[in-house]
Amino acid sequence: MNRDEILCRDFVELATEYLDGALAETDVELVEEHLVICSLCREYVGQIEATASAVGATETAEPPEETLRVLLGAFAARHGRAA
Amino acid sequence: MTTELPPPTTRFPESEDRLVAALRAGDEQAFATLVRRYHASLKRVARAYVSTDAVAEEVVQETWLAVVAGIERFEQRATLKTWLFHILTNKAKTRGVRERRTVPFASLAGADDEPAVSPERFQRAGDAWPGHWATPPRPWEDPERRLQSLEARERLREAIAALPAAQQAVLTLRDVEGLEADEVCALLDLSPGNQRVILHRARAKVRDALEQWFEEEAA
Repeated sequence: MNRDEILCRDFVELATEYLDGALAETDVELVEEHLVICSLCREYVGQIEATASAVGATETAEPPEETLRVLLGAFAARHGRAA
Repeated sequence: MTTELPPPTTRFPESEDRLVAALRAGDEQAFATLVRRYHASLKRVARAYVSTDAVAEEVVQETWLAVVAGIERFEQRATLKTWLFHILTNKAKTRGVRERRTVPFASLAGADDEPAVSPERFQRAGDAWPGHWATPPRPWEDPERRLQSLEARERLREAIAALPAAQQAVLTLRDVEGLEADEVCALLDLSPGNQRVILHRARAKVRDALEQWFEEEAA
């Protein structure tokens, strides 16, 4: 990045890269210096983490019953049983 | 014709070895559990490559049939999950090409210059602290508990469904399925930088939706 400090406007673009541990070492230092002094950006990155874990906790839609029936039929046939 | 469907409460065998062994042995409950567990995520990823939900559903069905045919040859060099998504993306790519939908994946992700946070929320040149927050995020109290409410989960689902298809695909693989960044790059032919930009855009938009919900709740 080539800069000597990070502003809030820059940090919000780097939050996922930071959480992934994918930032260059010099940038990690700048980000962490910024987070020490900026509670607002700490809040932002915490919200990005909370968002990611909320997304992970969403229950997924079930496949249509008919689809499941067809697939189980194919599975049973493969294993030598009539569906 | 009237196959009894195993009950939806069937749990995964604790270890993947046991699950794979059960599948190889023809355990229908294990297969039904696997289909129920991954069907929606597979469809979301397929949707990034093909033009309609119906075609995505077909691609997912083809994937399951390939799993049925191929489970005996599955060597467990990758996890079962990675193997599933590998079959899916191959089939979806082939289908996308046949549909002449050859737009590069990354360009489906949304404009690259789209910022994670609206520029209006930062101070401008001439303000006291240019580049610092003007309208900062307000603290979320106890988000884990509050995001469990029915309404919050509904808002979350809507926010995810409103994302561009490529963002949904990356968000699903990373945050729903918990794949590593490099696995997602390999599956979707993305550079590490592109993968992170797409993921971050997706998370930032979903965060915006949740922020709005928290604000309405507090009002």
